[in-house]
Amino acid sequence: MKLMHCPLNGWRNIQEFTHGGEVVAEPDPNRCSDAEWAEFVFMEENKAGMVREWWCHTATAYWFIAERDTVKDEIIRTYDAGEVFKERIEFTRPEPPKEA
Amino acid sequence: MERLGAPFGSDIDRSESVSFRFEGAQVSGYRGDTIASALLANGVTTLSRSFKYHRPRGVLSMCGQDSNTLVQIGQQPNRLADRVAIEAGLDVTAQNYWGSLENDRLAHLRHFSRFMPVGFYYKAFYKPRWAWPLWAKLIRRIAGLGTVDLNTPHGYYDKQYLFSDVTVIGAGPAGMAAALRAAQAGAKVLLVDENAEIGGALAYARFDGAGELAEATHAELAAKIAAEDRIRVMTDTMCTGWYADNWLSLVKGNRLYKLRAGALVVATGCYEQPLIFHNNDLPGIMLGSAAQRLIRLYGVKPGNRAVVATANRDGYGAALDLLDAGIEVACVVDVRADPPEDDMSAALMRRHVPIVAGATLREAVPTSGGGGVRAVKIARLEGAEKAARRYDSFACDMIAMAGCYAPAAALLHQAGGRVSLADDSGAFSVHDLPAQLAAAGSVAGTNMLENVLGDGVAAGRRAADEAGFSVAATSEPPRVAEADASAWPIIGHSRGKDFVDFDEDLQVHDIENALAEGYRHIQLLKRFTTNGMGPSQGRHATLPAIRLAARRTGARLDETGSTTSRPPIGPLTMGHLAGRSFEPVRYTAMHFRHLERGARMMPAGAWMRPEYYGEARAREENIAAEAMNVRDNVGIIDVSTLGGLEVRGPDAGEFLNRMYTFAYLKQPVGRARYVLMTDAAGVIVDDGVACRLHDDHFYVTATTSGVDGVYRTMLWYNAQWRLKVDVTHVSASYAGANIAGPNCREVVQKLCDDVDLSPEAFPYMGVRRGHVAGIPALFLRVGFVGELGYELHVPASQGEALWDALMEAGADAGIRPFGVEAQRLLRLEKGHIIISQDTDGLTTPHEADMAWAISRKKPYYVGMRSVSIQEAGGLTRKLVGFEISDSDAPRPKECHLVIRGGAITGRVTSITRSPTLGKVIGLAYVAPDQAEPGTEFEIKIDGGAMVRAKTVKLPFYDADGARQEM
Amino acid sequence: MTLAPKDRTRRSFLYRELESAGAVFDELNGAAAAMSYGADAEAEAAQARSLGLCDLSALPRTGFKGWNMSAWLKAQGAEMSEASNIVTPQADGTRIARLAPGEALLLGNYRGHGPLIEKADSAWSMQEADGCFQVPRAETNFWLALSGSHVPALFAKICAVDLRPESFATHSVAQTNVARLNAIIIRADTGEVPQFDLLSDIASAVYLWRALLDAMAEFGGKPVGLAALQELN
Repeated sequence: MKLMHCPLNGWRNIQEFTHGGEVVAEPDPNRCSDAEWAEFVFMEENKAGMVREWWCHTATAYWFIAERDTVKDEIIRTYDAGEVFKERIEFTRPEPPKEA
Repeated sequence: MERLGAPFGSDIDRSESVSFRFEGAQVSGYRGDTIASALLANGVTTLSRSFKYHRPRGVLSMCGQDSNTLVQIGQQPNRLADRVAIEAGLDVTAQNYWGSLENDRLAHLRHFSRFMPVGFYYKAFYKPRWAWPLWAKLIRRIAGLGTVDLNTPHGYYDKQYLFSDVTVIGAGPAGMAAALRAAQAGAKVLLVDENAEIGGALAYARFDGAGELAEATHAELAAKIAAEDRIRVMTDTMCTGWYADNWLSLVKGNRLYKLRAGALVVATGCYEQPLIFHNNDLPGIMLGSAAQRLIRLYGVKPGNRAVVATANRDGYGAALDLLDAGIEVACVVDVRADPPEDDMSAALMRRHVPIVAGATLREAVPTSGGGGVRAVKIARLEGAEKAARRYDSFACDMIAMAGCYAPAAALLHQAGGRVSLADDSGAFSVHDLPAQLAAAGSVAGTNMLENVLGDGVAAGRRAADEAGFSVAATSEPPRVAEADASAWPIIGHSRGKDFVDFDEDLQVHDIENALAEGYRHIQLLKRFTTNGMGPSQGRHATLPAIRLAARRTGARLDETGSTTSRPPIGPLTMGHLAGRSFEPVRYTAMHFRHLERGARMMPAGAWMRPEYYGEARAREENIAAEAMNVRDNVGIIDVSTLGGLEVRGPDAGEFLNRMYTFAYLKQPVGRARYVLMTDAAGVIVDDGVACRLHDDHFYVTATTSGVDGVYRTMLWYNAQWRLKVDVTHVSASYAGANIAGPNCREVVQKLCDDVDLSPEAFPYMGVRRGHVAGIPALFLRVGFVGELGYELHVPASQGEALWDALMEAGADAGIRPFGVEAQRLLRLEKGHIIISQDTDGLTTPHEADMAWAISRKKPYYVGMRSVSIQEAGGLTRKLVGFEISDSDAPRPKECHLVIRGGAITGRVTSITRSPTLGKVIGLAYVAPDQAEPGTEFEIKIDGGAMVRAKTVKLPFYDADGARQEM
Repeated sequence: MTLAPKDRTRRSFLYRELESAGAVFDELNGAAAAMSYGADAEAEAAQARSLGLCDLSALPRTGFKGWNMSAWLKAQGAEMSEASNIVTPQADGTRIARLAPGEALLLGNYRGHGPLIEKADSAWSMQEADGCFQVPRAETNFWLALSGSHVPALFAKICAVDLRPESFATHSVAQTNVARLNAIIIRADTGEVPQFDLLSDIASAVYLWRALLDAMAEFGGKPVGLAALQELN
C-alpha cells in the first residue's frame, strides 16, 4: 500500500486518506458564462503527468494539497492548503445593469 | 518404515511418531515430516491424479512449488502435501480421481488425449451454445480440484501489521548473509522464510565435492543469526505479494501479516526446472533438489537405482548425495558435450559413476501399472534441438532432473523489476529494481556459493544504508567464476506425454500447435493454452513456453518477453483475506433501553436504530399504533443519530449563507431555520436545521448518514475561503430525544423549571437552553412528525438518564416510544422529504418543490449558479404527493415506475398506508404536467398491473400547521 | 453496597460491559468508575503490567480549537508544544495533547484530577470566545487505557501505525484508524510498562471494547480497574 505524507500527521498508509479531486479555481459564479461554469462543475483534466490535488486525512478531517506524478505514480510533495489559499475569498452580486 | 540414519533427516524428530490417515489408511511418520515425506517413507509414491488425463503423479519439487501434491485435508481442499507438516489425526485424501487413487476409472482418458488438444473445450463444446452449461458441469466433475464442504465451520483467521527497518525474504545463504550484515549495521531485520527451518539450499543441497561446505556454512550463519538480537526470524511464512512502497503480505498459519518492510532484500532463490521427455511425469521422476530434500531433510530414500540428468554442476551434487544415501546411480546424463572438470565431477568419477556427456533423456519406461519408472532411454544430442534416433536404455526406479533454473522473481516483477534471460546458457539477470529493493543470490542469477554470500553481504549493507544505518565500507570477498551451465534442449517426442505444464497436462505439441495457430505473443500463448495458469503458476512451465515461442518466431528470449506475475504468489484462503471482521457499529445512549422494550433494530449508516417496538408478526399494527399515539397522545423517539455540527466564529452566519441555500445572516438568536445543501452541480445533498444560539454560534443538524460528508465538505470549502469560522463535529456528543404529540408539553413541563414552554414564550421553530430532570439540554421546537414537539439534545453520557426521566414522567399519560418506521409514516403525512430516499443523485431544489428554501438575494451559495441554470432550463420531472383512492387496489412499492403511454415519467419514492387518513399516500416523481393536483397517473407494480393514483397537494395532514404550532 | 452506574445521570457508554465483567464501582468526577474487578488487587496490578484494558470514561477531559486556541489556553496558564501530535504534561497533572496548530485535547490524570480542565471549561464562554472554541471531548470520545508489555503487539492487530516503543516515543500522539474507527492514541508511559490512552467515538464504545477484548485474548488480556492503573502511575 502506498504511503503518503500528511503535513499534519506524517507518513501514513494511503488508506487513511480521501481523495478530493483536482485543485481548480472556481470561476466567479456571478460573472462567468454557463459554459465556463459547466466546465468547472463537470470536467476534470485527468492529466497524465504532474497534477495538484486535494487530499483529506480522514481521521482528522484535515485537507491539504498533494502534487503527484500520475505517470510514475509518485507523490512529489504535500503541503497545507494555506500555501495556496492565503486570502479570504469574497463573493459579490453582479452590478445591476446601468440605466441608459 | 525405513529411514536413513543421522545426519540425514535434519527436519524430523525420530523420537516422536505421528499417525495420520491417507485415503482411509493409517500412515505413520515422524514429527517434522510433511505429508509427502511420510507417504514416501511408507512407499506411497502416487499422491494425486493429473487434471486432464488422470495420470498418476508423485513428488516433483518437494517444496510446495508444483500441483502434483495437492491433497484434501479434512474440509480443506488443495493443500500442498509437501508443505503441510503431519499432525496426529489428519485426514488426508487425494484429489481428482474417480474410483480409487490407484485405479482411477478415468485414467482411460489418456487414450483419448489426441482428441483433446489445447482449446478443445472452447472448440468442442461451444456449439450449440445451449449445451455448454451441461458440458461444463461434466467437465468440472472430471477436472476437479478437491471438494468444498459448504458446512465447513468458520476458522479464526486474523491480520497483523508488522514493521521493520530491513526485511529479507528468503533465508537461504544470500538472505542469511544479508540479514546479518544489515543487523550488524544496527538495523532491525525481519528474516522471512517459507520453510520450517532457515538455511535454504544449505540445508539440503551440495556445494562441493567433499559435501562439507553446505553444512559448515549453514551452521555458522545459523549460529550468528541466533545470537543476533536485531534479527527476528519468521519461518513457515509465505510472502504472497509485493505492493507499493515495500508493503508485503505474509501468511503464517491462520494469520495474514501486512508488513511495511523498510528496505527490502529479495533472496527468494530459484526454481529448478524439470526436463521434457516422454513420460516425464511418472511418480519417481523428480527434481534433483527434491531428491536431496527427501534425503537430507527427511531421511527418506526416493529410490534404489537412479539416473541423474543435468545441465549444470548441481546434478553432480545430487548424484553424490544419492550415493551417500546408499542409492545406486546408474549414470549421470549431462546435456553439455564437454562438461568442465571440477571437484564435483572428480568426486563422482572416484565413485565410478558413468557420466554420459552430450546426451539427453528421451523417454521414461513405466512400470506395468504405470505408477512408476522401470527404465529410461537416453539419446545422443545432435545439435542444440535434435537427438539421435538410437536409444541407450538404463534400468532405474527413479530419475533426478537438474535442468536449469528459473528465478523465483515474482516479488521482483511485482516491484517493477525485469528478468533478462540469456539465450544459450540458461543464465539470467534482474534489472530495473526500485530504490529500497535489492535482489541477492540465485534469484539474481548468482550460483556459486561464494558469490551468493558476497551478494547477500552487499545487499544487506545497502539495505541498512537505505534504512538510515550508515555503514562503514568493508572489503568484500572477491567473486569467483560462476559455474558453467547450459539450457536444457526441448525436443518433442513423437508419442507426446512430454509435459511442459504438469498442472494442465500440456505437452510440447500443445504449445507448438498453439504457436502454429498464431498465438505467438507470450501472453496470448499463455491464455490460449492455459500454460502456467494452474496452481503452480508457471514456475516450471513458463520458461519452456518462452523458449518454444522464441524458437518458433526466431526471436531472442528477451524479445519474447515474459508473463506477468501478480499477487498472490502462493495460495491464500478466503479466511486469510477476510481476517477478523471489523464492522464498527454505533449505539446511542438509549440503545439498551430500546432492546429492553423489544425494539426491532435496523442499521442507519453505522448506527443501530429502533425500526419499531414489539413482535415482528404484528409489524404493521405496531407501527400504526406507535404513530397514532403520537397523533393522539405523546410519543418519544431517539434522535441521537442525527448529525450535529457546531459552527462558531464571527463569520458563522456568512459561512452558513455560503454552504446552504437559505439566508442566515439575519436569523434571530433563539430561532431555528431549515437548511438545504446543494452541491456544485445544484443537486440536493443534505438538509437539517440551523439553531442560532449566539450571534457567532449556530448548532446545525444534518442527516444521520450525510453528516460526515457535510462536515468534510464544509472544511474543504473553508480551506479555500479562509472565513473566521470553526466547524466542530458533535454528532455523537449529544444524545437526542424527540417527544411529540398533543400531550408532550405536560410531560416535559414536569421535568423542567427553567424554560417557559408556553407557545407564546417558546413558539414553533424556537430554540432554548435549560434543564430536563436536572440534565442540561438544548430544546428545539421542530416538527418533523407534524405535532407539537420538543427535540431535546443533551450530553451523550446523560442520554440514558434523560430517556428514563421522560419515560417515567410520561407513564401516566401513556407515553410510548416510536421507531423509524412510525416516524417515516408521520413525516410522509406531513409531506416532508427524506434526503436520499425522496431525492436521488440528480434531484434539484426545484424538482423537489423546495424553491421556497432558496434565497435569491445572496451573492453566493454552493451550487447557486447551477440552480439558476436549471431554473432557466425548466423541469423534466417533479416530486409530488399522491394518493390512491381505490382501497382495493394493490399497494405499489418504493421505486415502482410511473408510466404514461409506455414511457417512464417517474417513480414512487415513498409510500405508506396512512392510519390517520385511512388511505394509501406517497411521494413520486412525475412529469411536470402530471404535477398539478387532481391529475391522475398510473403506477406499474410487480407483475405488470397498473394502479391509478392521483396527484394531491402537500401536506396530506394538517395543511396549516396548526397542530405542530399549538 | 457499592455504587451502581445508573445511580448517576452521567454514565459511561460501557457500563453494562463493565458490570458484566464484574466491576466494582466508585464515584469519580460525578460518575461511577470501575475501580477493580474483584478483591485481588495484586493480581489485577500484574494483569495491568501484562495486558489490561481500563475504562477511563469518567475522568475529566475537554478540548479547545480555533485559530486562537493556543493563545487563549496559554492565557489560562497552559503550556503547549509548538509541534502537533505531542503531549505536554502540566504541573497540576493535566496533560495537553496538541492535535493540530488549532486544536488541543486536555486530559486529567488517572486519579481524576485536572484542575486546568475545570479552570478552562469554566473560563470559556461563547461571549468571549475570540477564536477559541470549546470541544465537548467528555461527550464526544470514550476513553480507554491499554497497559502492559503486550500492548504494542495488540496494537499491531488493530492499527496500521507503527506504535512499537522504539518508534513511538512517550508523549507521542497518533490520530489514526483503530479497528476501522477514527481514534486518538497517546503513549502515556515513561518507559517501564507500555501504556497508551485511546480515545474514540463515544457511540462506538461497545463495539471497540468487544473488539479489543477479542484481540487481547491471545495475550491473556483482561479488563482492569482504575485502581490497578493508578498503581502503575
